Amino acid sequence: MKTTRNLGVIFFPAYDWAISPTHPEREERLLYTQDQLREEGVFDLPNITEYKPEIATYADMERTHFCFPGPQEVSTESHLVAAGGAIKAARLVMEKQVDRAFALVRPPGHHAMKVVHGNRGFCNINNEAVLIEFIREHYGNKKIAIVDTDCHHGDGTQDIYWHDPNILFISLHQDGRTLYPGTGFSDELGGPTARGRTINIPLPPNTYDEGFLYVIDNLVQPILDDFKPDLIINSAGQDNHYGDPITNMNSSAQGYARLNEKLNPDIAVLEGGYSIQGALPYVNLGIVLAMAGLDYSQVREPDYNPESLRQSLEITNYIDKLCGLTLKNYFQPPPLKVKPNQYDVRAKTVYYDTDGINDQQIEQIMVCTNCSGVRHLTSKTQRNSSCMGIEIPIDACKRCRDEGYRLLEEGRRNFKGTTLKFVNRLEQEYLTINEFELTPMGRYYF
Amino acid sequence: MLLGIDVGGTHTDAVIIDRGEVTATAKVETDQSNLIASIDAVLEKILSSKPNQSISKINLSTTLTTNSIVEKKLEEVGVLAVSGPGLAPSSFSNDLGQHFHLIEGSIDHRGSRQQALNEAAAQDAVTDCKHNKLKVFAVVSKFSPRNPEIEQTLAELVSDQSDFTTIGHRISGRLNFPRRLATAYYNAAVWRRYNLFADAITQSIKKHKLDAPLNILKADGGTIDFDNSRKNPIQTILSGPAASVMGIIALSSITEDAIILDIGGTTTDIAIFADGAPLLEKEGVSFGGRATSVRAIDTHSIGIGGDSAITISPEGKLMVGPQRQGPPMALDGHKPTLIDACNVKGLCRLGNCDNSFAGLQELAEKNHLTVVELADNAIDLALTTIRDEADKLLETINQRPVYTVEEVVHGEKINPQKLYVMGGPAAILAPLLSKIFDLETEVPDNYAVANAIGAALTKMTMEVELFADTGKKTMLIPNLDIRRKVSSSYSLNDARKDGISELVKYLRENGHPEIADQNISVVEAEAFNMVDDYAVGSKTIRVSCQIRPGLEEEIKIK
Repeated sequence: MKTTRNLGVIFFPAYDWAISPTHPEREERLLYTQDQLREEGVFDLPNITEYKPEIATYADMERTHFCFPGPQEVSTESHLVAAGGAIKAARLVMEKQVDRAFALVRPPGHHAMKVVHGNRGFCNINNEAVLIEFIREHYGNKKIAIVDTDCHHGDGTQDIYWHDPNILFISLHQDGRTLYPGTGFSDELGGPTARGRTINIPLPPNTYDEGFLYVIDNLVQPILDDFKPDLIINSAGQDNHYGDPITNMNSSAQGYARLNEKLNPDIAVLEGGYSIQGALPYVNLGIVLAMAGLDYSQVREPDYNPESLRQSLEITNYIDKLCGLTLKNYFQPPPLKVKPNQYDVRAKTVYYDTDGINDQQIEQIMVCTNCSGVRHLTSKTQRNSSCMGIEIPIDACKRCRDEGYRLLEEGRRNFKGTTLKFVNRLEQEYLTINEFELTPMGRYYF
Repeated sequence: MLLGIDVGGTHTDAVIIDRGEVTATAKVETDQSNLIASIDAVLEKILSSKPNQSISKINLSTTLTTNSIVEKKLEEVGVLAVSGPGLAPSSFSNDLGQHFHLIEGSIDHRGSRQQALNEAAAQDAVTDCKHNKLKVFAVVSKFSPRNPEIEQTLAELVSDQSDFTTIGHRISGRLNFPRRLATAYYNAAVWRRYNLFADAITQSIKKHKLDAPLNILKADGGTIDFDNSRKNPIQTILSGPAASVMGIIALSSITEDAIILDIGGTTTDIAIFADGAPLLEKEGVSFGGRATSVRAIDTHSIGIGGDSAITISPEGKLMVGPQRQGPPMALDGHKPTLIDACNVKGLCRLGNCDNSFAGLQELAEKNHLTVVELADNAIDLALTTIRDEADKLLETINQRPVYTVEEVVHGEKINPQKLYVMGGPAAILAPLLSKIFDLETEVPDNYAVANAIGAALTKMTMEVELFADTGKKTMLIPNLDIRRKVSSSYSLNDARKDGISELVKYLRENGHPEIADQNISVVEAEAFNMVDDYAVGSKTIRVSCQIRPGLEEEIKIK
């Protein structure tokens, strides 16, 4: 007999929102999932309750992202509701109204990076990051692990937490050499202050349930046992499914349910998954039942045929080796050549596939021995000629805090771009400077 | 003239209404073991004062089905269920009697048959039922509102030995397999007893020389015609609270968002109105241990009424209710009640006020309070508890999930503007409730027979769901048993028209020649583009049409 748990499901299908009429991210993406959950009577089960999403605020966005020129310009109401669904999940769990929560919401978010100029990879706002920053703002700084089981590398979430030692980001995905966004390789391990806190497991095409479960048992679990997070969040993309039209993996509803049961996340947030008739109804049902501690053994896709899905021995051996290597990378990450208490600089180009934006970024992080380090970046696109972001992290030491204000003063004097964003997570002060006009965003209270 | 009869827990009431006026009322005690006798008696009484040939319609609210389920006077049912993959059967097979048979087969969410019905297993189940001398059946498959074939085959298989078969998709076109299953089971289990009762009603009406169409009240604030109720007895459960709610609509002109309180001896029933219309339970009422698909007005009952006992626990905690200790001491009861507290405060003068005073004083002294303090505290506790429960219900309703950005961001919330109070202690408590709720408060006249008035004036209601899939070129209206081919260009507008016209056609053929298109409201209409193998640009269309609850000829009684 399994232990049943109280599960809150925030189901928000956004039936009036699509990227375009034939885009995979369109109105009826969760329609058949809703049909399935309704017909099964899931919300009549005594330990499963359906909740309405909250509406995220611009403050929730600005706490998480540098939105250029501002949150209003890079999001729509639908993004605020999806992020609000994730916030609702956080609130339900943190206030112990439920044991577990599943934000079954769209649009998705895990390709949205620290800097947001528009939509990339179907995402504008990173729902999981908004959720985490909401928790840290209102319930104190926590150690949180995000396990991203979407088929695409969660490059947005990785970017946001690249320098954060308190947030462990683990992504299981189809190898970037074969799929969008083309990143997420084993040597991407986090920045100098958070080395080993980013873990990538690029899996070969045609990986079956056994491969995913092997990674959970032999890699994810030992890492979680060591990291000891206060909360585990699952970015529950469902496009590893064998029926997904835009990926090449072989996972099934049973595999997803079992994975969820093993991982036992406090909160799950839907990400991708575009086999909307053949996979999502069954995968979502499986995840809901697994999270609620109910019997999912009879959840099955109509065309499920394990014989045709099994992975080759070659894949099994490859994954075995990959796990060994990655485990080593977590426990003994190869050190970076950086000097303590100086800025480390990385330059990068970010392409927004949906909106066709090219972003040239230069990011500097203080390699601080006492905190996550003050972050300073500049960003240039066709739309926003030059933008600047300064962030004092939530765990900032006095030096990094003061350094943040020094950078702000310097920015005020010398910055010649369009928008400057200043975020002080320590004392919850947020500023936007447009063309040198100072607009206080004020302090945001709970 | 309209005749309304409400068989309640304690009393059976009848009223005759003539062009907006109550021209006769009658009340007898209900004999729960012989409801027909109670109905006979109340008919006798009311018709003795009124000529009966001018009665044009009879509406009856009865507890027969409700009692059958509560008292488990249920016939054994052969339940044949086809669930296919999904939830484990243990989550839906409980409380369905001793003859539950799960048979292989499966239909998916689009109505495609994924696994054929195992007819040999079905035949074995039927043989087993025959062996057990079962004569009533419920046949239900998952996703039958999308494809009724499996249920139809099962119904055919049991037809030889079945006196009556409930078929899942005829119960409801909405998706919810466990609810459909439970509802079909109950419907079959009460069918024979209800029909015996219906035969007796027919006799009784004949005996009283009444020759008017008879309708039975439902829990959704509407009626079902008598012949139809014989096949759908489950629709007649829990009609009592609905009759009261319809009664208060008749007695007050409710047009706004409002809270309705029906304060009885033991309990207070709370209902919420939006724009003057009562809100229904989202999917159906829960009853007899199972959630059903029977539509019902959302009423919330709490254990506080006029006869609720006032007690103080050994730890000093004041309580009003939930147990009933009435009658009040003022009427020679043994424990002080809420009404006794009202007597002490001079809010009413019921029976012997000295007894009320003495009873409260004894309790007050034991707990170092003055008698007035105790009365104040007890009344305040009772009324704030009612308010808190109403607030909770309102919050639940306002937090109901919605599925579009538009509704989440711009959806309107229910914001009550007025409080309506009915029931025995209504007039006594109304001014205090008004203060505590901070709302304008109205106590309608004639509330003592509001339930029978509500019964008399209630109109027929019905709901159908239409589902079309232009990729598969099919259109279904499950509870009318309609399934036909449509063209691939079938549109949302076509679906609206079909939903309305099929419902009108059905009702006209089933005792309601007066029904026209304008009586039907389309409450949901959605079309989604499907991009899949069937055809690019095909659509899935869902339309829901209904006749909303309402009052006959909009009669208002003042």
